[in-house]
Amino acid sequence: MSHKETVSRTLLVAFLVCIVCSVLVASAVVLLKDDQLKNKQLDRQRNILAAAGLYDGTQSNQEVGELFNRFELVLVDMETGLVATDDVLAAAGVDISKYDQRKAAKDPSLSIKLDSAEDIASIKRQARFSQVYLLRDDGQLESVVLPVHGYGLWSTLYGYLAMEGDGSTVKGLGFYEHAETPGLGGEVDNPKWKALWPGKLAYNDAGEPALHVIKGKVDPASADAVHAIDGLSGATLTSNGVSNLIRFWTGERGYQTFLQRVREGAI
Amino acid sequence: MKAIRQFFDKLEPHFHKGGKLEKYYALYEVFDTFFFSPSSTTRSGAHVRDGIDLKRVMISVWLAVFPAMFFGMYNVGHNANTAMAAMGIAEKTDWHGVLIGLLAGYDPNSIWDCFWHGAVYFLPIYIVTFAVGIAWEILFAIKRGHEVNEGFFVTSILFALIVPPDIPLWQVALGISFGVVIGKEVFGGTGKNFLNPALTGRAFLFFAYPAQISGDSVWTAVDGFSGATPLSQIASGGLDALQHPFGAGQITWMDAFLGNIQGSIGETSTLAILIGAAFLLWTGIASWRIMLGVLLGMIGTTLLFNMGGSSSPMFNLPWYWHAVLGGFAFGTVFMATDPVSAAMTNTGKLVFGALIGLMVTLIRVVNPAFPEGMMLAILFANLFAPLIDHFVMQANIRRRLARQ
Amino acid sequence: MKIREILLEPIFSKNPIALQVLGICSALAVTTSLETSIVMSIALTMVTAFSSMLISTIRNFLPSSIRIIVQMTVIASLVIVVDQILQAYLFDISKKLSVFVGLIITNCIVMGRAEAFAMKNPPIPSFLDGIGNGLGYSLVLLTVGSIRELFGAGRLLGYEIIPLIENGGWYQANGLLLLPPSAFFLIGLFIWVLRSVKKEQVEAPEYRLAPHVSAKEAV
Repeated sequence: MSHKETVSRTLLVAFLVCIVCSVLVASAVVLLKDDQLKNKQLDRQRNILAAAGLYDGTQSNQEVGELFNRFELVLVDMETGLVATDDVLAAAGVDISKYDQRKAAKDPSLSIKLDSAEDIASIKRQARFSQVYLLRDDGQLESVVLPVHGYGLWSTLYGYLAMEGDGSTVKGLGFYEHAETPGLGGEVDNPKWKALWPGKLAYNDAGEPALHVIKGKVDPASADAVHAIDGLSGATLTSNGVSNLIRFWTGERGYQTFLQRVREGAI
Repeated sequence: MKAIRQFFDKLEPHFHKGGKLEKYYALYEVFDTFFFSPSSTTRSGAHVRDGIDLKRVMISVWLAVFPAMFFGMYNVGHNANTAMAAMGIAEKTDWHGVLIGLLAGYDPNSIWDCFWHGAVYFLPIYIVTFAVGIAWEILFAIKRGHEVNEGFFVTSILFALIVPPDIPLWQVALGISFGVVIGKEVFGGTGKNFLNPALTGRAFLFFAYPAQISGDSVWTAVDGFSGATPLSQIASGGLDALQHPFGAGQITWMDAFLGNIQGSIGETSTLAILIGAAFLLWTGIASWRIMLGVLLGMIGTTLLFNMGGSSSPMFNLPWYWHAVLGGFAFGTVFMATDPVSAAMTNTGKLVFGALIGLMVTLIRVVNPAFPEGMMLAILFANLFAPLIDHFVMQANIRRRLARQ
Repeated sequence: MKIREILLEPIFSKNPIALQVLGICSALAVTTSLETSIVMSIALTMVTAFSSMLISTIRNFLPSSIRIIVQMTVIASLVIVVDQILQAYLFDISKKLSVFVGLIITNCIVMGRAEAFAMKNPPIPSFLDGIGNGLGYSLVLLTVGSIRELFGAGRLLGYEIIPLIENGGWYQANGLLLLPPSAFFLIGLFIWVLRSVKKEQVEAPEYRLAPHVSAKEAV
């Protein structure tokens, strides 16, 4: 056995390598943490702005931050459908600035189990509080950005649905995470398809959720045209998934009550 | 005829070893044997187990496809003419229209009008398939110094019959190129490929241009019209949803059996395919074991699903509907029985067929993304064919050892 | 060995993907666009070069019993650093590359070069060897990435090159190229072309088909 193969030597080398490597890794993580957090935040802000039709990919990071700061964050209590008051939040142990909705949806104490009849978006559990962003102009509510998600063909689609201040007209829909088939279901990201959404009405005259994706093209002459979106060609199941998740989130278990309050001008 | 023979005889020395056109012997051979029977015929080979000539096998299959092909042409025209009548389109204005106008009109009740209309769509597809495919074959034959194999006759017609009638011709060219090059020549040419080249080409198109071709909506040769295939109609609404377009009523089982539905050119009429099947079985060219295996596999799997008591329409679809819809019949008779890519042993053929039957039902019923599964099922079973043969042979060897 | 040889050989003559068929998992996954291919290439080249150099530096002190695990530790640390840097400065791309940056750890090229070259050579040549092999990997990745993005989406680096039918152009995008199996075909064709040019890379066939038996034997 040569000199370098002894047990003590082996342990020493292993120890040194571990020390050096952990210092290297630790310092990279610590030094870069601020930038990474900023990136994550910026990414979310961009998604929200994009859904509201305020981000077109040309704004600088600073402009995104400024635009985003005009939004007001509220947590909507999905049990009552109303904006959660500080008392409610305190009782649930939620800090609005640190709340993470996607994490909460997996936490039994912060989420609601859906039974299969209610669960049309196939999400099984829904977070009790939803992070809703409000944009006001001179005190007048201009848009409401609602987080939505639901199952498509292969994956859960996560996105934001933006509504006008009237609480019924759609301002835009954008998904920031999904794994649908590129070229078919993946076309939910196609700007042309997304452009079909603004101007559609989420609720009918009776106040019931009516927005849905149909199969094929919408006939502009039909009475349903203001509530219907063209299906994605060749992607029936992704289209159905989007339709279901919209129906869920505009429905009773979703933001129906909240948006009703918006329509009444109470928010 | 004699003049042609003399012409070829005069040319021949140039193509032989040492001749100035030696490199292009394959090209010469194609045209020579196209007109005349070759002087040297294959007496045995990797996949032909008797004395029959490979060319005769291939030509027989080619002939067997004719009923499906002729019916397919009629049906394409019939569908298109019916759609045009219902949509109030008097005539087509593109080059198809010019060709149709030469010989026929647009009357959906006239057999000749429908047939010619379909031919104007089918023949260009076939010609492009053949021209592009044979060009690749000749290229590889010249490069590798062997003769062009007759297998391509069959591949070309099968490929042309399993595409939708309104497919753009450049897609046809791309699909057959992929099928011939990646599906066959990469592995060394006919006899060494483990996938069916026609299906490989079709699979390429299926994944490359899914929005047009994935079987969700078809496929009538009229611009601006698309309906759902019978299979996807059933998947979304059960047998009640199975409707002819333009409110022409429910599609009956007999409609589907006779082929009075929409679909890829050659696969709609189960009856026409059965005529071809009878010919192939009578001549002993196609394996009855494979066909039986596919049928039994499909029936068995379907019965299992039917017993499941699910409310989903595809789960409850009976086997006799599965048999007449989509590419099931065409695939069973012409694709699964491809002697090169199927299993070789007798037991293996039954297992191979059953695997196809199982997979096609599984894909159709369970997979939400694909309403049709025959193509994928056969390609899947192609991959397993050598393994199946291996186990059959091992079992044989063990049995014989035990006998001693 | 000459520097030139160490640096350039792995590009065509001893390409890690084309000849040794190493590291193709990531080549399938990240080549849907040229941008991700470029970033992945740079990341892998950097990791291979620096890990080879570091391992070569300590090669004379390394007990052979823990050789592999030390190599793994060094490589893993470097990969984490690269991943952190990407997350900090190229967030969008790091999101697209997702786990595949982390999976450089398991990329056989990195370990392969550390074990095969760095353990036997001084630091500078090891570094160059890492760069060379990284370039060989990059060549394949960039080729595949360009073809897939150009013909699958009509774009290169996000700029439209071939106008698509959907956007009023003439090109019908090929959806297969956006799916991972297409990278398989493309790498296969790449190897085919490379081996037709460089015949010495062709492997000996595992078996030969017997010539046709005569008719008498067959009966």
